[in-house]
Amino acid sequence: MKAGLDAVEEGPHPSERSTGSSDGKIDDPDGHPSVVALLLRFGDSVSGHRVSAGTQHVVWIDSARNLEILHWLRDDQDHQYDMISDITAVDYGAGRPIDVVYQLFSTVHKRALRIRCELPLDGLEIDSIVELWSAANWLEREIYDLFGVTFRKHPDLRRILMPHDYEEGHPLRKDFPLRGRFSRAEQTRRALDQSVEHSYIAEEMDLGRDPQQAAPIIGTKDGVGSEISDE
Amino acid sequence: MGLRDVLPGGGTSSVTGGMFGDGSPTFLTSKIDWIINWSRRNSLWPMPFGTACCAIEMMASAASNYDLARFGMERMSFSPRQADVLICAGRVPYKLAPVLRRIWDQMPQPKWCVSMGACASSGGVFDVYSMVQGIDTIIPVDVYVPGCPPRPEGLIYGLMMIQEKIREESLSRHFEHRAEDPSSVARPHANDAQVVGLTGPFGNSTQQEELSNKESGATEEPPEELIP
Repeated sequence: MKAGLDAVEEGPHPSERSTGSSDGKIDDPDGHPSVVALLLRFGDSVSGHRVSAGTQHVVWIDSARNLEILHWLRDDQDHQYDMISDITAVDYGAGRPIDVVYQLFSTVHKRALRIRCELPLDGLEIDSIVELWSAANWLEREIYDLFGVTFRKHPDLRRILMPHDYEEGHPLRKDFPLRGRFSRAEQTRRALDQSVEHSYIAEEMDLGRDPQQAAPIIGTKDGVGSEISDE
Repeated sequence: MGLRDVLPGGGTSSVTGGMFGDGSPTFLTSKIDWIINWSRRNSLWPMPFGTACCAIEMMASAASNYDLARFGMERMSFSPRQADVLICAGRVPYKLAPVLRRIWDQMPQPKWCVSMGACASSGGVFDVYSMVQGIDTIIPVDVYVPGCPPRPEGLIYGLMMIQEKIREESLSRHFEHRAEDPSSVARPHANDAQVVGLTGPFGNSTQQEELSNKESGATEEPPEELIP
């Protein structure tokens, strides 16, 4: 109890937990065929593997090859991770790398796999995977908005949650003060200076029908992609 | 702006010989006040601005069990142009602040505002970078309803306080009540000192600020004059 209260007095601090990737340790991959295949085919790009929460296999890969590896995981007949459940990022603070996390699921083989890429703070760039899963579009925008990770070749890399002209940084970073960097008065003034039309764009409400925005649906069984149609 | 400017046919010369007979404007206006205030307070149309769980309680207030229609609030007006009282129910992020301000500016006079719940009134537990610390920094508020969320009785009590407020209004002071500078449109309601005073730092958030500044490899440094 005493220690707990002391911790409250000291305030929040960066996590001391190791992310477990840099040691190159590989847990037993036997339960998961995709992990075995990844180690065989991309062994030099896999920097770690953990089994988390009993059944969740986590594989750390080289961020430079994320597009290639994810493309293979999506299209290879033995894996077919056709659904991207989530893309997110984790900042462990204290100058450690920011992890970009891909949560994959194969509706064909009923398997889940988590892929993580470490990005050093001075090189927060990674290839966009919008061309593989169009669902990645807004998820990557969210990570760009809140963590400041730049996704190369993203078709529309803008802020998505914070105001478009937000100048205080990226709020989910550990080095971001909880109440923001500007004073409340300045934040209020800036908020009211926003143009409402800039945040609520009528065309975006109809995104699926706009031929400029439509991304192809991919990952069909015969490997032939189909376009989003008006039907 | 006095009584004579407000009454039809008003003015020094017409009071004696005009429609007011022997000219006892005090007696006359008190009756007009009464009628106008009576009709206003019993036909308030709320503009619901529900952004969170408070909106659920607001909907419950309008539903059959509590039945806001008993108070003349027959119709939730989803257009600000046909609304009398803005009920801001829920937290308001900074990104929504210009929307709230614009809705308030679009409402015709006379208009009133209820700030429903802890978040709308003070930011509540959301003392964070993204959240307006009380909508009274954005728009003028008549009644604050505390609670997280308030029960429908609480909201109804708040609306009855609005009715009480209307009951005490007078046409002779009408334009003082309704004073609104055109230049205040789309501007904060509170001045800088008020905003900072309202939202003084407390608790862990300041400690985190100190901590994170110490260890940060922060790339973006804000301009000096913007830091309180």
